Amino acid sequence: MTARAVVNEFAKMRHLRVGLVATIMVIGVLALSLFAVVSSPDFDPDSPQAWNALLAGMSLGVPLISPLLLAVLASRQTDIEHQGNGWLLQSTSGITPGGLCRAKFAALGVIVTAVTIVTSLIVLVFGKVLAGILPPAPLGHWAGFTLCMLVINLAVLALHILLSAKVENQLVALGVGVLGCILAVFSQGLPPATAHVTPWGYYSLAQAAGYQGDQIQAMPISYPSIAALAVIVGLVFAVLTVRFDRQED
Amino acid sequence: MSALSAELIKLKRSLAWPIVVFLPIVLVLAGVATQLADGRTPENGWHTVWLQSVGFYGLFPLAIGIAILGSLVWRVEHRGSNWNALMSGPVASLRIVTAKAAVVAGLTALMQLVLLAAVILIGKVAFGLPGMLPGEYLTVTAVLILATIPAAALQSALSMFLRSFAAPISIALVASGISTGALMAFGNAALVSPYAVATRAALLGTGSFVDTGTITGSDITAILAATATLTVLILAVTTMALDRRDTRI
Repeated sequence: MTARAVVNEFAKMRHLRVGLVATIMVIGVLALSLFAVVSSPDFDPDSPQAWNALLAGMSLGVPLISPLLLAVLASRQTDIEHQGNGWLLQSTSGITPGGLCRAKFAALGVIVTAVTIVTSLIVLVFGKVLAGILPPAPLGHWAGFTLCMLVINLAVLALHILLSAKVENQLVALGVGVLGCILAVFSQGLPPATAHVTPWGYYSLAQAAGYQGDQIQAMPISYPSIAALAVIVGLVFAVLTVRFDRQED
Repeated sequence: MSALSAELIKLKRSLAWPIVVFLPIVLVLAGVATQLADGRTPENGWHTVWLQSVGFYGLFPLAIGIAILGSLVWRVEHRGSNWNALMSGPVASLRIVTAKAAVVAGLTALMQLVLLAAVILIGKVAFGLPGMLPGEYLTVTAVLILATIPAAALQSALSMFLRSFAAPISIALVASGISTGALMAFGNAALVSPYAVATRAALLGTGSFVDTGTITGSDITAILAATATLTVLILAVTTMALDRRDTRI
């Protein structure tokens, strides 16, 4: 993977409306996170629980929106190679299919990182400035949550790039994306052991706050599980892209 | 009819059946997963099972399912030189547009029947509920089948204009999110959106979001009137647009 290949991926994005999809992702998560606060009658900016309401909103908004839009991003960026036989074109110019996938991950990864961090910061600013929450923000917990969401988003993105590259019919990739949304949302109600089985389940393991009884409470994030996901997906991505390099078309 | 029978032949190899079969089943399973995991029976019997599976399904997975089916049905026309064959054939635009929309709407109708079957099966086999699904939900399923026709026509139109598989699906996600918001803000006035019509019909009798819990004649009349008007409008506009399209190189 060379820097030039990554720059090339950014050039391809211009006609793929990647900016639009990224904007939808930010606005969708913001709408869902802030909706919880605006619609709740007992939201009180003076109470220490106010920040948890925002974290709970994001803990629901990210799993509901991200899996499908990550699938869309990966599918669009990868499908163009199937349509224009870009795999062969890039191979003749020295970039192997696996290298191309890594370049796509690097380029889309920058976008996904920006989207995740910007969304989290906007919610934080909203809580401080517009909602006027008085108690200090739990910055450590907030940063940990953002980092975990980022790791999970990147892991899901990497797997989707592999899937879109391997299976030409993008129905499969998008279908898996829809399934991911459902798994991500419903894992929150299932025992943690089930959440470890699929990559989308980890969204529920990184849930920063949620209802316990009828009160919103801060929840512990299981950092070791998220770290394990990062290592496993990283290995899978590395091994499979190397295998892509050695396979005949 | 020949245009429609040609569409049915194309359907045979388009991999539409996994969406039609699995999407409703997965949603019903996801809806009741927490209770299955805890070994509890639903509080209000059939009503709870219906609310938990169909209530969520109507919010946005239904629209995404329709969008995937639309993309699948049009995918073949955007490949190779099929678009030019379609443009240069002796078949009138109205017949192409109607046949495609009919196929998408037909597949969507099958999806609702699978949903109904899955709800009954879960209620009977997994929870051992007494009696049968209340008759009102059979009416809701019939209304839902009709109410998804405008969304099917619109997604078919979007997939006709957009060559990308994923783009119409992300539009469906956004549009159904906005439509649900509009339903909550403006009530039945939001039925100007095809997605709102589908969501409203799925929520009939659930008592959640905009629904009062009782199925009224005026609600059903409003849904069906919107269905008829929107379907005619969308098909007419799509036909006019297709008439102005030409072959592409």
